Amino acid sequence: MQTKWWTPYLFVSLAMLGLFVFRFAPIGAALWGSLQETSLTGEVRFAGLENYTYLFSDPTFWNSIRVTLLFNLVINPLQVVCAMVLALMLVRPGPFLGVFRASFMAPMTVSIALTAVIWGILLEPTLGPVNGFLKWLGVPPQPFFRSADQAIWSIIGIATWKGAGYWMIFLLAGLIAIPRDVLEAAEIDGAGWWSRLVFIILPLMKRPLAFVLVADTAINFLMFAPPYIITQGGPAGTTHLLMFEAYQSAFTYFDHGRAMAISVIVLAMILLIVGLELRLLRPKGAH
Amino acid sequence: MHERRRRRLAGAARYAALTLIFVVLILPLYWFVMSSFRPVEDIFRYANDFGIRTLVPTRITLQNHIAVFRSEFTRALFNSLFVCTTTVALSVFVNSMAGFAFAVFEFRFKNVLFVLVLLSFMMPFESIVIPLYSISRALGLVNTYGALILPEAANGLVIFLFRQFFLAIPRDIYEAARVDGASWWQIYLRMTLPLSGPTVAAASLLIFIHQWDAFFWPLIAASSPELVVVQVAVARNMSVDQTNWGVLFSSASIAVAVALVPFLLLQRYYVRVVGLGRT
Repeated sequence: MQTKWWTPYLFVSLAMLGLFVFRFAPIGAALWGSLQETSLTGEVRFAGLENYTYLFSDPTFWNSIRVTLLFNLVINPLQVVCAMVLALMLVRPGPFLGVFRASFMAPMTVSIALTAVIWGILLEPTLGPVNGFLKWLGVPPQPFFRSADQAIWSIIGIATWKGAGYWMIFLLAGLIAIPRDVLEAAEIDGAGWWSRLVFIILPLMKRPLAFVLVADTAINFLMFAPPYIITQGGPAGTTHLLMFEAYQSAFTYFDHGRAMAISVIVLAMILLIVGLELRLLRPKGAH
Repeated sequence: MHERRRRRLAGAARYAALTLIFVVLILPLYWFVMSSFRPVEDIFRYANDFGIRTLVPTRITLQNHIAVFRSEFTRALFNSLFVCTTTVALSVFVNSMAGFAFAVFEFRFKNVLFVLVLLSFMMPFESIVIPLYSISRALGLVNTYGALILPEAANGLVIFLFRQFFLAIPRDIYEAARVDGASWWQIYLRMTLPLSGPTVAAASLLIFIHQWDAFFWPLIAASSPELVVVQVAVARNMSVDQTNWGVLFSSASIAVAVALVPFLLLQRYYVRVVGLGRT
């Protein structure tokens, strides 16, 4: 029986329609919307680059860029290091490792919104048990999310609590793939644990590490729930991450053009990251 | 002799560190879920005065959980379960069809379309959430179940999973069926799909958990009280109603359990399939 030329298109049509309308059209909508201005009366006019020039002259926007960059410069390397430490601790055989591995991964099943709710309570300065525990250790109570000095670090901490076990999975797979005889040969030659790590394991883990770093950045760049649920961007704007700023522009101040301009900047950043990711995922030697 | 002692010491240090990390990662979750079984007045009673009673409940009750099932939270539970199951059904259907086409047919623009599929799942959903809101508003979807379900129906990762599975089925069986006069639709529905049970299960779990965890999109696209989903309802309990701690602890614990239990039951399998889509 002859296959009609349109049969394949019929099979992909629903999925492709969904992807175009709900994944790719929004990119166009952001670009187009960022060039328009909606007045309070609802009139739309073409505004050229006004939204961008206004944005670039706004200290609130620059603060959120600064906070987002600082956040990412700290959290991404931190999560990669934590994930690597967890993976290294689990890669050698031993008793009970299955239990440890499962428990390290359990936090990844807690959604980011619930992570924010749970840790918002745990780190509550007066009610929360963490300060109770610190008191027991003889450490004075800490303000955590309530202080401009600690809030962003607390968010970094709770996001790492959730994320480290997830990224560990990828690194553990990479470590297991390292041929055992390579490591054994080095051990026989008298290489200590540290020199094996630095001269053999890390060079062989370059690709999985780079992949995890890039993929993790794409996630953390878009972090939203903790500032929304716990800090509302405060205190004093210290947790005012870019996605929270985009949310506020759109749904607190109803500044459509500004929200779209921020979305375009976010998308440009994400496309850059995805480009890097694709390069890293390409098989070795292929060009 | 010296070497053996050194190894034993290193082993002990390793397990001490593993245990410490275990405590840091699990104790917070344990304390939270355990507290939901305490009488409301006990929840914070021992929190500030750290000791054995902080971690071991002196009184256990189901009163918080019973209260939750008598509160508005049942609406959120219904909405989440409805949205999750509908999305799973729709998504498995739509994406398996596309995966079938990418695996079986040769057609113009196939490679271009497939690159778009890959791009769509490498681009985190959150990056397009705000412009997606304008699109959904233009389509009249805002504050309907459609807003929660339709944008999640087509899923690049699920298309990819199905394509990989269908590629492994020998083409000869299709050719034989074609010679017998079967249409491609019949082949897909009667032969290929029934064979792909494990992939359907994996995709269903992946989509279900993804929808269950969704927060940012439901927050903006379906903000009316009738459409509130579990994650948003819990976050609102946190910010608005600080007096009802029992309901907050219980509702959040239920929300955690729905995502945690499949992981505990299906560990290795879970990591292989759901792990791909989780962040």
